[in-house]
Parts: sequence; structure tokens; C-alpha cells
Amino acid sequence: MNRSLVILLGALALGAGIFAGSYYTAQRATVACCAKPADDLGWLQMEFHLGDAEMARIRELHEGYLPKCAEMCAKIAAAKHELSSLIGNGTNLTAEAQIKLSEIAVLRAQCQAQMLEHFAAVSQAMPPEQGQRYLAEMKKLTLGTNELMEQSMSDHAGHEHGTN
Amino acid sequence: MNTEDIPLQTLLRQNRPAPALPSRFQQNVWRRIEDAQSPAESASWLDALANLILRPRFALAAAAVLLLTGVFTGTLEGRQMARHDAQMNYLASVAPHALR
Repeated sequence: MNRSLVILLGALALGAGIFAGSYYTAQRATVACCAKPADDLGWLQMEFHLGDAEMARIRELHEGYLPKCAEMCAKIAAAKHELSSLIGNGTNLTAEAQIKLSEIAVLRAQCQAQMLEHFAAVSQAMPPEQGQRYLAEMKKLTLGTNELMEQSMSDHAGHEHGTN
Repeated sequence: MNTEDIPLQTLLRQNRPAPALPSRFQQNVWRRIEDAQSPAESASWLDALANLILRPRFALAAAAVLLLTGVFTGTLEGRQMARHDAQMNYLASVAPHALR
């Protein structure tokens, strides 16, 4: 092979190696250094540039909310366990199982309402602009996934109806 | 040179056959010369690039640029990943997965 071509290909490989190595090292180092904030609220402080007073108020709200959230989660988990026992190995959905499904749906709705109330309270503890941004972000992250799923399901159903 | 041979040489020159050249002879000659030169040109282009790469100053500068670009883009990407991880930590603490 031509000597110049070998030099060129070697230089390209070396250049790619230098770039990839420095990119990967810098990425890992940044993640290792910045990805572990002191607690769960670290992201709020970083993202919304909150002061100590605002963080203290938000921490208070957060700590008040967590036990309520845990209680609701425990109720939902228990109801799901009961549903699982009711369904058992049967192929038919019994009346009891349907009632349990409704209970779970109600519990989920209550839990979701409680969560949205908490988001609203936290947003009010922030400067107005940041509060609006926080609320929008939280709605997108928590409700957006359901909307996407429902949207995809309705699209799928519509498609099937169209073909039949 | 022998002066006695001059008439003989003149006679020989006059009787030398001068065949007619084929049509577009000169044009074809130039084209073949150009064709023969073109691969040499591309080889010299590659050689020039290889010589440039082998210059220590150029090699160091290129390595430094690549290193800095890699560090810069890696840091940006790392910050995005760190931000995403921190966001997910917060979200996991306030929004149970069953509700999302």
C-alpha cells in the first residue's frame, strides 16, 4: 500500500482515538462529579437556582409530603396484591376483582391528586417564573407519560378500526 | 568530420523517406503526455498531505484541537446526563412509578 495513504489512515485512527478517549473521560468525570447531589432535592436547587430560604421551605414541604406518598403507595400495593389473589389462575374477571380494580383506580387518582397538590405547593415556594417552569416540567414528566400511552393506544385502536 | 563525405551526406538526407504523420498526431501525443502526468499529480497531493501530518507542529496542533474538542463535548454531554440523573432521583422520590 502507498506509504502516504498508510500515514493518512494512521493519523485518522490516532485522531479518532484521541477524540474518543478525551470525550469518554470528560463525560465520565463530569457525571461522577455532578450526578450525586447531596439529596433528592439537589436537582431542584441546581435547575431552578434556588436560595437557602426557598430550599428550606421546599425541604419542609417535601418531608411533609413523603410519608403521605408512602402511605398511598402502600395502599395501592396492598390493593394490587389483593387483586392478584382474586384473579388467581382463573380466566374470568370476577365481580370482586372488578371492584378491586376500581378501588385501585380511585387510590391512584387520589395519589395523583396529592402529588399535583404537592407540586403546586412547591412551585409557590419558588420565584414565580421558576415556579411556573417547575410546574410545567413536573406535569410533563408525571402526566405526559400517561398521555403518550393513551394517545398511542387510541391511535392503535383507530388504526385497527380503520382496517376492519 | 570528413569534408569529402558532405555530398554523400546531403544525398542520403535527400533520399531519406519522410512518411506522412497520421491525422491529429500532435494532439494525440499531448493527450498521452497529460494522461501519464495525472496519476503523478494525485500521488503528489497525498504525499503533500502525509508530509503535512508528519510535521511535529501540525501534528501537535491537531492533537490538541481534537483533545480539547473531545473534552468540551464530553463535558457538555456529561452535564446533560448528570442533570437527567438528578432529575430522575427527584422524580422517583415524589412521583411513584405506578403513577407515571
